Amino acid sequence: MIPRSGYSAIAALCGAVLVFFLAPGAAAAAESGPPAPPPGAPEGALGNTAAVALLFWVLALATVAGAVFVITRRNMVAGVMGLVFTFFAVAVLYAMLYAHFLAVLQVLVYAGAIMVLFVFVIMILNKPEDEPWALTGLVGKAIAGLALLYFLMRLGGVLWGVREKPAASGAELSPGGTIQSGDFGSLAEVGRVLFSDYVFAFEAIALILLSAVVGAITIARPGSGSSSQDADEGAAVGDGERAPDA
Amino acid sequence: MSDIFFHITISHFLILAAVLFAIGMVGVLVRRNALIVMMSIEIMLTAGILTILAFARLHGDMGGHAFALVLIAIAAAEAAVGLAIIVAVFRSKRHVDLERLHHLRD
Amino acid sequence: MIELTREDFLYQIPLLILAVSGVMLILLEAFTEGNRRDFLMSLSVAGCVGALLSSIVLFRSIGDESIELFGGMLVADRLAYVLTGLFAGATALSAMLTADHQRTHRWEVGELYGLMLIATAGASLLSMAGSLVTIFLGVEMMSIAIYDFMAARRGSRPGTEAAMKYFLMGAFSSGFLAYGIALLYGATGTFDISSIAAFAAENPSDPLLVVGALVLVVALAFKVGAVPFHMWAPDTYEGAPTPLSGFLASVAKAAGFIAAVRIFAEAFGGDVMPFGRLGWASVFAALAAITMTVGNLAALRQERIKRMLAYSSIAHAGTILVGLVAVGVGAGDGAMAAVVYYLIAYSLTTIGAFGVVSWIGSRDKERLRIDDWSGLAVSHPLAALVMTVFLLSLGGIPPLAGFFGKFYVFSQAVSAYDQQLLWLVVIAVLNSILSLFYYLRVVMAMYFREPEGAFTPMRSPATVIALGLCAFFVVKMGVLPGGWMSIAGG
Repeated sequence: MIPRSGYSAIAALCGAVLVFFLAPGAAAAAESGPPAPPPGAPEGALGNTAAVALLFWVLALATVAGAVFVITRRNMVAGVMGLVFTFFAVAVLYAMLYAHFLAVLQVLVYAGAIMVLFVFVIMILNKPEDEPWALTGLVGKAIAGLALLYFLMRLGGVLWGVREKPAASGAELSPGGTIQSGDFGSLAEVGRVLFSDYVFAFEAIALILLSAVVGAITIARPGSGSSSQDADEGAAVGDGERAPDA
Repeated sequence: MSDIFFHITISHFLILAAVLFAIGMVGVLVRRNALIVMMSIEIMLTAGILTILAFARLHGDMGGHAFALVLIAIAAAEAAVGLAIIVAVFRSKRHVDLERLHHLRD
Repeated sequence: MIELTREDFLYQIPLLILAVSGVMLILLEAFTEGNRRDFLMSLSVAGCVGALLSSIVLFRSIGDESIELFGGMLVADRLAYVLTGLFAGATALSAMLTADHQRTHRWEVGELYGLMLIATAGASLLSMAGSLVTIFLGVEMMSIAIYDFMAARRGSRPGTEAAMKYFLMGAFSSGFLAYGIALLYGATGTFDISSIAAFAAENPSDPLLVVGALVLVVALAFKVGAVPFHMWAPDTYEGAPTPLSGFLASVAKAAGFIAAVRIFAEAFGGDVMPFGRLGWASVFAALAAITMTVGNLAALRQERIKRMLAYSSIAHAGTILVGLVAVGVGAGDGAMAAVVYYLIAYSLTTIGAFGVVSWIGSRDKERLRIDDWSGLAVSHPLAALVMTVFLLSLGGIPPLAGFFGKFYVFSQAVSAYDQQLLWLVVIAVLNSILSLFYYLRVVMAMYFREPEGAFTPMRSPATVIALGLCAFFVVKMGVLPGGWMSIAGG
């Protein structure tokens, strides 16, 4: 017997797979012209056709719908499926921005590895959520919400203005833009930039990943941590109420 | 007006990313379940990556792609540590409800 | 394409020592058996001392130069080495205190020392950051290692809860950091801070730049615990093992401030940001005023000492923000030196104060309430004296480090910008006076009240040495502030 939220989760997953397999084909069909990115092309320079517009709006809708699904569902599995849906759609958006390698990584690392991790943890927790919304501190949250709304409107205006930037027309590249047209976003270019200008970042990530792995094992290992350990701080801090002096 | 719908520019991607960022932020602020809060944070990071890639396209600069790679790697590291912490909290409290974490408060 | 030369490695030796010894410690922990706590602790202290000494050597040899490494990813200058030395020293002290806390409270997590060094490497990376990519890497290297060792005390319920709160807030602020960096990159087309500075000087009111900087302010305010974004700090400091709270309040906070300096003072130096008349400094001025006031008022109400110290550290973050405002309105090197001096003084004092809390508490009775400290001076006069030194330094009483920290910051802020920051300094001074009430409350309890029950502080050379060093430097920086001020760059 599959619960009702189970059906929505399955539907979301099917939708994600469908979008992912259909969209690159549509993108390829839309970009029948030369893929020369910045120079020459008119503003935006995304190879604009009606098909590209349609693809963008479908993906935008899918992304937002998946994200809203995540923050509204009570069932955590449904939330994860919504997130996977969002990540697949975002990957296709990356491909539309000529970030093909990043699109592949998004699917492999985010939608693949990280989401599997989430599903495993949900299986460990195995608890349906009782009350999804945090209603305490409502005043603070309302203020935060209004501030967010104001900020978003300002930000939207600024971002919409980016269309008018000289660089947006592709007429001029900013300093540091050394790519030849056509190579932009290719695996070779990503490799070149990662192992020359950003080689330090590459090395630093190795250290970060090491500490993350060691830390995750240390934290999650069901070790010798005796339960009497919380007696000391537990008593001093008070478990809900102030404990009398031990 | 139809230009907004049929002429897709970098701004369209940027505004989509801003909307995603806002959704993630709302999720962090209103949800009580630590796992869902973590998922909302992942949405925020994804919005950051999408913004970076759109701007990389705008500037024709591959540096943005390198930073996007950094972001993906670090998001993975953060998710691993965060999920381990959530499992540890669940072991000691049998729930991951942020509203019911009141061992420490004023 | 960048060329790597010998200098690229030479000038980042402190960073390399921290990172390599961190990895070595993790490997040693994994491949040895038995009780290695003191062994690992001494090795981590040795690594920190090595980093500290190499920072001193490089500090002396580099002079006033600023050298770009790895094609601008890192910047080596005096500021970077002073801060790296501070982080290394503070980590050594925290490691010594942590070993005794582990022994007394019987929690053995050997990975802790390696992770502490990696966190310090992240902090030192922030002090050398020459690019927004490095800023992000440094913040994450530090934060992820800190999440790890905060949660490492398994079975401690307040400990895991504190780790979860710190993790969620830290990850939330990472989201802001990533988005803010993305917006700045969009405005300028580069991650390099000096290129961004060049762009900002030409287009000071580029809207994308302003929005991106605002988002970064939010991200860094979370990291340093400035007031509307401080709610994680008291819970986290209270729940974490006490010496690690000290690490968090000193190294992690100072690293957040140095990141703010690298971004705001260097990329948007002067008054290029159109946030009112003062540039970005006006945002920081507002944050500083709220942070000091809220932190001190909340600290007054606290009955538990770690929570009181947590709110006091929030208030101190506000005072450091006053210094950053002075830097932002163009007070120049003098203000920068005042901020660095304050960071050194505050870090040593905070580690010491949390260290005494950890020293006095035993496994059965942690002495976390202020009432628990009654009559300490009768049974343990030395402990009471050391704690008094730290508390008075935090409160800004004259011949101690904290006083000169506040003195330098306030005098720079008063003279900067045609004395238009006077209102902020008045608020800061009033807050300093307010803060004396809660610091003196602990001192009064220690000296003028009858003891309740016997104290059983741990007996251990490492703790005594660490606290002695902290107290020595707090007094020395107060008695002879001139030499330290010249190290800080004044």
